[in-house]
Amino acid sequence: MSRDTENLIASLSTGLKPVRSQLPVDLIALLWLASSAAFVMAITHLFGPLRPNALTQLATEPRFLLETVLGGVAISYTAVVAFRSAVPGAASKRSMLLAVSLIALWLANYGIGLAHPALEPSMLGKRDHCVFETLMFAVPPACMAFLLTRRLYPLKPVYSALLFSLVAGMLPALYMQLACMYAPLHIIQMHIIPGLLVMLAGGATAWLINWVKRRRSQS
Amino acid sequence: MTVQLKAAPSCAAVSGYMTDNEDSATDEKRWAILMASAQAGNEEDYRTLLTELSRAIKHYLLSRIGSQHFIEDCVQDTLIAVHQARHTYDPRRRFRPWLFAIVRHKTIDTMRRQRSQQQLARQQEDILLQEHNTTEDLDSSITRGRLLDKLSPQHREVLTLTRFIGLSNAEAAAQLHISESAVKVRVHRAIGKLTRLMEADA
Repeated sequence: MSRDTENLIASLSTGLKPVRSQLPVDLIALLWLASSAAFVMAITHLFGPLRPNALTQLATEPRFLLETVLGGVAISYTAVVAFRSAVPGAASKRSMLLAVSLIALWLANYGIGLAHPALEPSMLGKRDHCVFETLMFAVPPACMAFLLTRRLYPLKPVYSALLFSLVAGMLPALYMQLACMYAPLHIIQMHIIPGLLVMLAGGATAWLINWVKRRRSQS
Repeated sequence: MTVQLKAAPSCAAVSGYMTDNEDSATDEKRWAILMASAQAGNEEDYRTLLTELSRAIKHYLLSRIGSQHFIEDCVQDTLIAVHQARHTYDPRRRFRPWLFAIVRHKTIDTMRRQRSQQQLARQQEDILLQEHNTTEDLDSSITRGRLLDKLSPQHREVLTLTRFIGLSNAEAAAQLHISESAVKVRVHRAIGKLTRLMEADA
């Protein structure tokens, strides 16, 4: 070991302060998910009611229930993986692949639904501004996730941002399944695509921040 | 209070850690205990941990990318990253995946930086040949910034040399009559201080 490394070790360890023990990352993820879901539900209700027969349909239409539950599972698992990705070595490639696969499987339901919808497509419960609501309701959870992951140590901040922004975007998209009209094409165009845009915006923001940091450190 | 541990493995044992499962398991346990103790603020255990890690990281890098000129930089950058990320280590999880995720990231980062650093060094040589600003000249122009004025003279000096004039850590170390690692630590702390000042100023 070189003298410089010895000196560095001495410098880093001298005057060492205790660090506050972090909550388990999975717990942080679940707390964020729960608070984000509560926020999305509350603000959605604030802007308009649920589709009148949505809860009855959940109880009586198994495929609709399966579609909704699959969405919930995919979003929850992706949230956990997103936060794990902000801790070195906590997220495996396999878990990331599984998260993306679950999301893809859930979204594939709507593709299948174009030909064989889970429910009879209907305009009942249509919200006038669902596309903007989906976009706007995703922003606070995404910002919160950004702040929380910044306190961790994301080695690949852009990947982390893509994942948690995806979850933030898909939360309102999923809830619109109950709050807005049911028609697969409408869901894809007005709920899913805005959710995916949030993911891209989150990734782009993280990339930009990273780029600025690198430029500053180089100059 | 220092955590009671078994005697540190010999250099040979440490250097063979990747191939010997028993040593790996011992290191894993030791490092996890030492890091938990370091998180509580134990300097001695932290020093022991970083010393062992530096050897292990060096061996890891040598065995994977050969004897490159930036290996020592890589080791030092990784140690700084371990220091910055130490709050994210969860003692309920394994230590090695946490450590080597950082090592890999820092190695790639350093290797990426090498090319741009070399290009930058050439550009800076040209600029320095054209301009004959002294450290004092630059320092006086820089200290006009009120946030920089709030930094300690040591921090301002090291930022001036490494970030504004663009001297290498070694050159700055020679000018300041301190070690390279001390320059790195000072720069790290100065930027941290400046970031906090800027956040408070916003």
